[in-house]
Amino acid sequence: MTLLELDGIETYYGESHILEGVSLSVGEGEVVALVGRNGVGKTTTLRSILQLTPPREGSITYRDEQLVGLETHEVADRGVGWIPEDRRIFSQLTVAENIRVAVPDRAAVDAALSLAYDTFPILEERQGQDAGTLSGGQQQMLALARGLVGDNDLLLVDEPSEGLAPQIVADVGEALAEAARDTTLLLVEQNLPLALDLADRFYVLDNGRVVDDGDAEEVSADSDRLRRYLSA
Amino acid sequence: MSRHQVRVLVVLALAAYPALYHLLTQSPVGVEAETLLPRMDTMVALLYFGLFAVSFDFISGYTGYLSFGHAAFYGTGAYFVVLVANGKIPLVPSGTPFMITLLCAGLVAALLAVGIGLVSFRLSGVYFAMITLGFAQVLYVFVRGLEWISSNPRDGASVSGSTHPEGFEVGVPFVDGLNLAIGPLSGDTVTLLGHTLGTNAVSFYLVGAVVLACYLAMQRIIHSPFGQVMVAIRDNEERAEAIGYDTFRYKMGAFVTSGFFAGVAGGLFAGFRRSVTPENTFYFLVTGDALLASIIGGFGTLAGPIFGHFFDESIREFLSPAGQGGGLLPYLQTRLSEGVLSAEVGGLTVEGFIEAALNGHASLYVGIVFVLFVLYVPNGLVGAARDRLGGPVTEKLPDRLWDR
Repeated sequence: MTLLELDGIETYYGESHILEGVSLSVGEGEVVALVGRNGVGKTTTLRSILQLTPPREGSITYRDEQLVGLETHEVADRGVGWIPEDRRIFSQLTVAENIRVAVPDRAAVDAALSLAYDTFPILEERQGQDAGTLSGGQQQMLALARGLVGDNDLLLVDEPSEGLAPQIVADVGEALAEAARDTTLLLVEQNLPLALDLADRFYVLDNGRVVDDGDAEEVSADSDRLRRYLSA
Repeated sequence: MSRHQVRVLVVLALAAYPALYHLLTQSPVGVEAETLLPRMDTMVALLYFGLFAVSFDFISGYTGYLSFGHAAFYGTGAYFVVLVANGKIPLVPSGTPFMITLLCAGLVAALLAVGIGLVSFRLSGVYFAMITLGFAQVLYVFVRGLEWISSNPRDGASVSGSTHPEGFEVGVPFVDGLNLAIGPLSGDTVTLLGHTLGTNAVSFYLVGAVVLACYLAMQRIIHSPFGQVMVAIRDNEERAEAIGYDTFRYKMGAFVTSGFFAGVAGGLFAGFRRSVTPENTFYFLVTGDALLASIIGGFGTLAGPIFGHFFDESIREFLSPAGQGGGLLPYLQTRLSEGVLSAEVGGLTVEGFIEAALNGHASLYVGIVFVLFVLYVPNGLVGAARDRLGGPVTEKLPDRLWDR
């Protein structure tokens, strides 16, 4: 069953045309990777779904409901979570406060904290510390934990491995695989082996357009197929 | 309990101040004490304006939205109290107990904040600061020209002697014996442990109690889930929105709360001074003083602006000329010997030099201190202490002092 469907979305930043008719779909329970070079519109696609940068044209349906025209917090209320790139957390809140703030339903906070600490024990050790003082890998774990506890049906994950040491990337990969067990993921990732290892299907974005898509396992065996879109 | 120790100590120190000031000024070092220590009425001003600065920090320091028109709420609270006293406000008669008037003043300011917030939160960053400033300046001009307020609105309004010949009856609930009044005309004195408190000291305690209650309320909000969302908005508003928080509603909630406390602060000001002018309530420099207090004390620390304002006011009073606080200048003029004062150095007598350097230049020196703070203590007094201790001062300081 299709959970999320993008149909011909056109997104602009001011006058610059970023997405030129992107269409893709994500099925319930799937992990879908969105790959492509820097600056082709991957993050913009996620921002369009969240209505942070609403598309000017096209439709985005989630469980057959139109998202275009909603407020961002209304999209979030429907179960769409976001794990953003770069500064991944609220640096001036503590680790525990970061998790608490991700759960608007106060009754569910304790369960959320124990879920987060079970998945990432390091976060329990650091719970009273300002999140800005964590290492890059720990910050990414916290961001993932926040996504996991938010009771989301669809997680939009933006470049989870960016800027992390290889060993940490493996940990993050495991955490994502864990998350994928009961959540649908739309994963933007430049690290192709990581993305294809996790994903069921993939889309390649180039200059604001979807230029290729298919089965992740198939393309893992055929390494030349994606190379021309991804090598700089 | 350890996190309360620091707060209790600060409150006790403030509570002991009137007695301490009285003792020191009667002692052999009385003249020095009078030169260095803030007078009682300065201390009262410090409390109510400190509350205003805290309310400014509550919205500006915690959500990151600079409320440059915050004086509008302070002015509304202040004018409301004076107008009620003069019987100009329908439904709130002139004899209403001061605490109820004060509550109404806060509510009216909060209502104004709803109106200003609904328009202003369509914008962010510097545009938000500018539009709130614009609203406050419009109100300033409006109040200056509104003849309903008094016969000469440009000079503001005073509490009429015919309705309130003495101070405002505070009306402490359930305690008839404590029917104290606020303001320098109240004539109320209280004898405690053989020591008589003057009228300013009585006002100091009454204003202090209200300020303390308001501070604790804001403190509670900051540490509640609501406060965490405020900090999340400051950190990254998009992300807070994407978690599912309707950030507009949180911003409005914080702004209206802040407006309420700013109105209460203005009401305390009017209750104590008994007269208000557009310049000392609605004018943008009033917000400027709160900004100054917040920067010196530390943005986003809540208590910081009180200390910042204390610092600012102490310097001003210390450097002010005779008759305005008895600071350094009159001290030097009376204590230095005639020979030293009339000695000439480079065509200028020492007395002339002191006069030229100190008379009426307090703002200049405060400005220099301000620049130094922005450059070298960007997180302010409390913020720097927090950085040094590695956490909130109220939590970390007791460990530093007693456990090691």
